[in-house]
Amino acid sequence: MADGGGWRPPRPCEAYRAEWELCRSAGHFLHHYYVHGERPACEQWRRDLASCRAWEERRSAGAQRSLCESERARVEAARKHALVWAPRQSPPADWHLPLPQEEKDQ
Amino acid sequence: MEHSGCAVNRERHFSCEDCSGNVSGGFDASASQIVLCQNNIRNQAHMSRVVTHELIHAFDHCRAHVDWFTNVRHLACSEVRAANLSGDCSLVNEIFRLHFGLKQHHQTCVRDRAILSILAVRNISKEVARKAVDEVFESCFNDHEPFGRIPHNKTYARYAHRDFQNRDRYYSNI
Repeated sequence: MADGGGWRPPRPCEAYRAEWELCRSAGHFLHHYYVHGERPACEQWRRDLASCRAWEERRSAGAQRSLCESERARVEAARKHALVWAPRQSPPADWHLPLPQEEKDQ
Repeated sequence: MEHSGCAVNRERHFSCEDCSGNVSGGFDASASQIVLCQNNIRNQAHMSRVVTHELIHAFDHCRAHVDWFTNVRHLACSEVRAANLSGDCSLVNEIFRLHFGLKQHHQTCVRDRAILSILAVRNISKEVARKAVDEVFESCFNDHEPFGRIPHNKTYARYAHRDFQNRDRYYSNI
């Protein structure tokens, strides 16, 4: 997290508002219940929206900290599961190569 | 795909073919090609779903060392992700299949369809396929790359794309 000059919220405040409203929608409730078997938790989006606005309006250091902590928690939650496979350092060498000649002839 | 170094060329990376059985499509890792079964794809919605499903396999092939042919856990993981993220297991599609369930039914569908997909390409028992899906499910069901979320409809897909376009700002400010 960059302190002071140059830092801005990880997402535009409009994005936090849109995520909060999507989370609270009836459609999302249905999707979330169908996938997870429980109601969605939307409070954190509301807190992030409030923090974003507090930063935009008065450059609140507390709001900056809160937003960074919240987003880092989201990233951690997305990465916490052990990978099944090893990541590549570069894409497959043959992705862009032409197909074998016999397939082209067919 | 392009961001991962595997830009997709329609002529090179897609092939429309007649397929046996009721298979809708497949990803041929040895040829780096997605096969679309022109005799089994019913309509545009089905086509979109099949293309999404196979592109998830292609994405996994591009970003990781997936051992498609000898590691059934790797295959199971990609099939769990494809069933989860392509719309295969949407509530509407399951109702059309006469599979009725609501609470957490999505996960049941993902497990079942992943097993079916494995059995379609590997000569192994259903029990071996089920065991592989069970072992990888927790990790692979929660791996939502490249979307960051399950894209239930165009709104979710739009939000996922917005997050992708915003990624530089996001990671430089957390």
